[in-house]
Amino acid sequence: MIRVESLTKVFRRPRAFSGPLGPLRTLVTRRYDERTAVDGVSFEIPEGEIVGYLGPNGAGKSTTVKMLTGILTPTDGLIEVGGRVPWRDREANARAVGVVFGQRSQLWWDLPLIDSLRLVGDLYDVPAARFTGSLRRMCDLLGLDDFLHTPVRQLSLGQRMRGDLAAAMLYDPPILYLDEPTVGLDVMAKQAVREFIAETNRIGRTTVVLTTHDLADVEALCRRIILIDKGRVLFDGGIDDLVTAYAPPRRLVVELADDETRAFEIAAGSSIPELIARVSAEHTIRDLSIHEPDLESVIKRIYAESER
Amino acid sequence: MIRPLAGMARIGLRFQLAYRSDVIMSVLALVAQVFLLRMVWTSLYGGQGQTRGLSLEALLAYLSLANLQAFATSPIIPRITHFRIRTGTVFFDLSRPTGYLPQMAAFQAGHTAGGLLMLAPAVPVVLLVGTITPTAHPVGYAATLALGYVISLMMSLLICVIGFWTLETGAISLLYRLVSHFFAGTMVPLSFFPGALGVLADALPFKYMGYVPAAVYVGHISGGEIGRAVAVEVAWIAALAVLLWAVWRRAHRRVVIQGG
Repeated sequence: MIRVESLTKVFRRPRAFSGPLGPLRTLVTRRYDERTAVDGVSFEIPEGEIVGYLGPNGAGKSTTVKMLTGILTPTDGLIEVGGRVPWRDREANARAVGVVFGQRSQLWWDLPLIDSLRLVGDLYDVPAARFTGSLRRMCDLLGLDDFLHTPVRQLSLGQRMRGDLAAAMLYDPPILYLDEPTVGLDVMAKQAVREFIAETNRIGRTTVVLTTHDLADVEALCRRIILIDKGRVLFDGGIDDLVTAYAPPRRLVVELADDETRAFEIAAGSSIPELIARVSAEHTIRDLSIHEPDLESVIKRIYAESER
Repeated sequence: MIRPLAGMARIGLRFQLAYRSDVIMSVLALVAQVFLLRMVWTSLYGGQGQTRGLSLEALLAYLSLANLQAFATSPIIPRITHFRIRTGTVFFDLSRPTGYLPQMAAFQAGHTAGGLLMLAPAVPVVLLVGTITPTAHPVGYAATLALGYVISLMMSLLICVIGFWTLETGAISLLYRLVSHFFAGTMVPLSFFPGALGVLADALPFKYMGYVPAAVYVGHISGGEIGRAVAVEVAWIAALAVLLWAVWRRAHRRVVIQGG
């Protein structure tokens, strides 16, 4: 469904000079600063898959999504979405993708939610009967009925997000790009968003590219993740493989009689009872627990390694 | 193609109606302005019959009409574009199957329609203050006004596009508003402008938003001059279309390459 090969995007900005005459120099010189936001990224996503596209701030995630939507043209490399080159065939591509940004809304701030949803129906020329059906489904799935006629500026963040999800899916695009869809939401709202994504994917076989910093989203929804940093792919594969390959060792954490807490790494293949016996021979143990590595510690470790 | 534009126009209309209190204030300001202009000009005329071919009655009618028109056609889209570029929501506009400029043009048309709807109660007052009587050139008036509106719309779109470079249209919009209202002749008819200023006002396209249609209405422009005005308006529209297309292409290239 989505094929990206050696995708590269270089931004070129006039060099800014500092000092009292800096702005003038910036204006008259023809010197540029180049910044490579995406650097030779390749991946393929088959139809119906939910993929987590992860990376720290500034890793190149949003730039990739913008190229996938056809808003940005790549500097180099190949990009194909549903057999089309997004930036060359922007209009057809636009009809095939839905986009949600957690940080910005496509809803008209001063108007009731329903006005923005109707506008989407008009812009994508959704036939009246299909629109009514889609809207009904969205209302049921996302519980929009209570605030359909409320101006968007009066909605809570969770309600607004649900409105944005509906707007992105009203014309049944086969591909959905989600950029931090749960940012700032409370636990219940996050749950509602995740359920909607899972449901959309299950019913419509919608292909989903999910960008997020909330690894709980990834654990709940994705089986595969693509990890990028500084514009390069660091890992592409199943979450289980990632944990096996990169997981730091499990740790035995003991609380000692004198209120001191100490942690011991459990080497792969070593016996835990033996380790406990060894520790308790030297200290008086009041409590102990074994810490399993979580996805977060795994990813932290990969980022740290790529820094080196 | 029609349905997306109708949808955008409806949003423009709703947007206008959502800011009712704003419009009511503007209508009050409009009525006050027409009233003040009437006082100043009545005193200036001081009982003279005609000045530069305009009777006091015709002048007052002209001023009321020109101000009504300028009010009704004042643009909203530079403000919208500015806001949407600054917040990044312009991304969604650019990702639609319909082009950005048609979307904005439709929004403006809907917004203007909403303005006219809310202006309706003020019209009798303004007409009364301006002592306006039916025109002898209804067709000429409608034609010059409609084309003038298209010119105004295209100028607004041009400011929107400039926003893609400057990322700021607030100051430009304000300047545009002042310049366009002045050169549209909302305070003083263009035929009263002295020397070089008159030449400049005559050369600029702003007069088609106020002066030309209003002068046609009161009979200050008549006969073959109306036809000539319409022809020049059409030429302006063609020229602006080319300019807009060229500027938009550059702006769009900037967006797809630099990401705004």
